[in-house]
Amino acid sequence: MDWFDCNCGFGIPAKPFGSVFATAAELLDELDFCGVGEALVVHIAQQFESPQTGNQLVLTEIADQPRLHPAWAILPPQTEWDVASFVDGIKRHGVGALRAYPEEDRYLLNGLTFGPLLEELVGRRIPLFVGPYWQTVADLLGDFPELTLVVVDHGNWGDDRFFRPLIDRYPRLHLDTSSYQLERGLADFVRRYGPDRLLYGSGSPNIQMGAALLTLAHADIPDAAKVAIAGENLRRLLSEVRL
Amino acid sequence: MRNQSRIAAEFLAAGKSESCPVIDMHGHYGPFHGIYFPSPNADGMLETMDRCGVSCIVCSSHTSLVDMERGNREMAEVVREHPGRFYAYRTINPNYPERAAREIVRFPDDPGFVGFKFHPSSHSYPVTGARYVPALEYANEHDLLVLSHCWGHSDTDGPKLFSKVVGKYPNITFLLGHSGYGEWEAAFAVAREFPNTYLELTAASRVSGIIARMVAEVGSEKVVFGTDLPWFDPHYGIGSVCFSRITDEDRRNILYRNAERLLAPVREVGG
Repeated sequence: MDWFDCNCGFGIPAKPFGSVFATAAELLDELDFCGVGEALVVHIAQQFESPQTGNQLVLTEIADQPRLHPAWAILPPQTEWDVASFVDGIKRHGVGALRAYPEEDRYLLNGLTFGPLLEELVGRRIPLFVGPYWQTVADLLGDFPELTLVVVDHGNWGDDRFFRPLIDRYPRLHLDTSSYQLERGLADFVRRYGPDRLLYGSGSPNIQMGAALLTLAHADIPDAAKVAIAGENLRRLLSEVRL
Repeated sequence: MRNQSRIAAEFLAAGKSESCPVIDMHGHYGPFHGIYFPSPNADGMLETMDRCGVSCIVCSSHTSLVDMERGNREMAEVVREHPGRFYAYRTINPNYPERAAREIVRFPDDPGFVGFKFHPSSHSYPVTGARYVPALEYANEHDLLVLSHCWGHSDTDGPKLFSKVVGKYPNITFLLGHSGYGEWEAAFAVAREFPNTYLELTAASRVSGIIARMVAEVGSEKVVFGTDLPWFDPHYGIGSVCFSRITDEDRRNILYRNAERLLAPVREVGG
């Protein structure tokens, strides 16, 4: 299968949780060990140091790595960036996906704070990746139902009761599979919703890269569904982006 | 793929390995509050086990964590209906000492039970407490296993607490469920110091690099595989083992050899 990891990163964390991939090269070594071809990546500095620093680091450190694709972290336009210059930046650097860290960066991820930027994301079909803050996700999609939203790192203790009503209502909501380790979870989801709303993610460096990979490889779903989740769905989302 | 493991290649190709069966030492059974399980019954679990190459599983029912007598009876029935595929731990809830005493007396009545299950966090009672002593003494007298929840920095079942218990009962094999998640060094120290104490991988296996650290610091002979089934898909944990930077001999130890050795007594008596 042609694996495209939607949820991994590199950099040196202050408090390492699992393995540390200090550089893009170290992340690539792990991707090669597991047979993963491409990845949408963040630099740990984007989450735990500052988005300003991290957004630059992710660009410079993967500049000569065509298999790695950058995501940028957002900040409220009232304090750091005006929307026009931020959008100009993602256009200039070919950044096809964004990340929100509302807890670490201490803001409300909603229309009040991000309205004009979210309208740009909807118009340009730029996917926004965020953790499993389900009430925030529900409110955000209530205001911006056409937003392409990818919830990552969900499901370690079973979040289906949170996200299934949202999946029912919002067709642009997607989920990564990095922590979706529920027994038969993938098969049960795909039987009800089809494979198009799931994206393979490893959760590395926190999560062992082979965990979600083997789970998807032998989920009780059609081969075409596995291929879609492994990489086609993410490629489709990125191909829809209009920078 | 640069991973040269033959076992990983087998699991990737077929979802299971003929040469490397899997034994799951940490399972549950039945529905539970707070989570949707697609299929938490015996047939569903067996179907998943077959898909993943899991030869057998040792469980405590979710019910037993709440009402131990009703739950242990439920688990005994499952073991009777599926001998050789399901084994069980008899759950002890220290909040009910008299009922727990009855469960200890009943232990020999049900074939296929391999020891006791403790969940000190759920029961808000420390593993070092006196109410666990009767079960520990019985287990020590009969060479049983004790699988206990063991979570990092917990004041009821953190790994440092086990260092005060496991040495007193040398005939018990202790499995530290979840390997002291997040307080790894303390759990490794207990498993290193005490020959009767093993690390168990449920939930811990997903932490990148942790299996390789266990192997380096404790040895693969002291690590057993588990999934909390029907919580976690076995392939998720197996994938973690397959893609850890360890040898195939280590993978065999973790996935089945150690468990085979621990379960041999109960299997020999036809449990």
